[in-house]
Amino acid sequence: MATKYQFDCVENVTPDLFQSGFLITDENRCIIYANSYFSDEFNLLTEELLGTSSDGLFTHSSRIFCESYLMPLLVHEGNCEEMQLALIDGDGDRVSIIVSARMDRKKRIYWSFFNASKRDQLYNELIETRKELEAQTKVLQSLSSTDELTGLTNRREFNLRAPQLIKQAKRYGYSFALFIIDIDHFKNINDTFGHLEGDRVLKELGSQLKSFGRETDLVARFGGEEFILLLPNINIEDAKFQALRLHSLISRIQVNQIPVTVSIGGMLSDGSQNLRDTTSKADDALYRAKNSGRNKTVFY
Amino acid sequence: MDLRQKIITRNNISIHGSGETTLLLAHGFGCDQNMWRFMLPALIPHYKVVLFDYVGSGNSQLSYYNQERYSSLQGYAQDVLEICEALNLSDVIFVGHSVSSMIGIIASIKQPAYFKRLVMVCPSPCFLNIKPDYFGGFEKVDLEELLGLMDKNYIGWANYLSPLVMGGSQSDELIGELSGSFCSTDPLIAKSFAEATFFSDYRYLLKDAKHPVIIFQSARDALASVDIGNYMQQQLPEAKLCIIDAEGHCLHMTQPEIVNQHLREYIGD
Repeated sequence: MATKYQFDCVENVTPDLFQSGFLITDENRCIIYANSYFSDEFNLLTEELLGTSSDGLFTHSSRIFCESYLMPLLVHEGNCEEMQLALIDGDGDRVSIIVSARMDRKKRIYWSFFNASKRDQLYNELIETRKELEAQTKVLQSLSSTDELTGLTNRREFNLRAPQLIKQAKRYGYSFALFIIDIDHFKNINDTFGHLEGDRVLKELGSQLKSFGRETDLVARFGGEEFILLLPNINIEDAKFQALRLHSLISRIQVNQIPVTVSIGGMLSDGSQNLRDTTSKADDALYRAKNSGRNKTVFY
Repeated sequence: MDLRQKIITRNNISIHGSGETTLLLAHGFGCDQNMWRFMLPALIPHYKVVLFDYVGSGNSQLSYYNQERYSSLQGYAQDVLEICEALNLSDVIFVGHSVSSMIGIIASIKQPAYFKRLVMVCPSPCFLNIKPDYFGGFEKVDLEELLGLMDKNYIGWANYLSPLVMGGSQSDELIGELSGSFCSTDPLIAKSFAEATFFSDYRYLLKDAKHPVIIFQSARDALASVDIGNYMQQQLPEAKLCIIDAEGHCLHMTQPEIVNQHLREYIGD
């Protein structure tokens, strides 16, 4: 039943004078009082609200939010503050509102509603801005970790990620292989056929390496005509096999109808040495491969 | 640390009972393994029961959370498969609540040998209405609004979210008791799980299910209607549909005795 409350201290003052919605529901969430804010602001007629469930005020998703968040909070804590929901106004439009509510011992709920349309607009702008920033961050991250020419991971990113893989190998007790790949006579290619041709070879090698790796492998351009690969969880036989695969894949690239060859320095490790030491050993092996005729893999 | 220990810690796995049959209970969105506590006492004497938290929920190790992996249900299914692998499980009866039912389907199609049957509590393969003839219950704008509300109330809700939708007219005592299941999660992780849950459409997988399924659907559930249960039963190669005359989306919490009874009959036959 609707009740007009008299405020004792000031004559002729009723909740209808406030610029916010007051609503009372009984233990069955049935509306027993609503002030005139609902008709003034939301075009919902008070006499039509009385006797209906407060659930009927809200949008579908707001009802779900009420059931999973607002109601349990009221039962548990006795009140809730500043919850943003949406209701359907008398014209069938969605209106954002802020709700605070308190439940008494008889399970009556005293609701206060505020129109939050402008605040919601701000929220939406903030959410959009956050999305844009997240997207931009992703692009920047990718740019700062990628080698522009080949599209592979760059040296900086390799140096960040490789130590984690090495630690994992040590922790879980498996070995990994590190390969340093150097294109044979790359300077001749540049000098004889020009830098554009050199770049083409680097690009193609990049795409061959991309297709070569497993998802867990780390493949990077290390600088100039050098590439570096870290293959986790591998034994020496498989590492040798993979090295052969690399030579075969790379020989598909041709310059002046002659297959490109590479020298590879390999190092199999159980993770007990750090990245610098491991790389330095693979580099030693590469040096030996270069000095013993090129177009081959030497393991440290 | 070996794989078994790593996964046990990562997914906060707990194992109860020692029966021959293994039940793997998978919680739904917005909660953790605590939601099974009402069913658990009656199951332990008969079965080996494995409980866990998905990465990003409950007491899982958040350091393993990876935005990309968990942006779709496949990532969560991978958790399930890794648990089976780490614990050396096979012929498991997988019990999934809500979104976990679909996670179970994805996992069981990928690695059938781990599973024997699937039990789905209040499942939905797709929450969206897709014209002309599928009624998931929500228009896209509703779901966008729901995620928007999560965003706009994020300071509170992720710390105070009760297992999604218990049913409006549950007694306050029950709501009070269930509210002990409030799950405090990182709001960004919870929102990402919500996106994976609410915007996915896995109806196409139903016909490829490799195991018998029993579906428990609530007669009055704001998230997954009886119609959805009927739809799933028609699409799945071998499925039983069990409508429980109750309200809400959490039958395993509000009606644990009835679900347990049907479950035991189903496993027994």
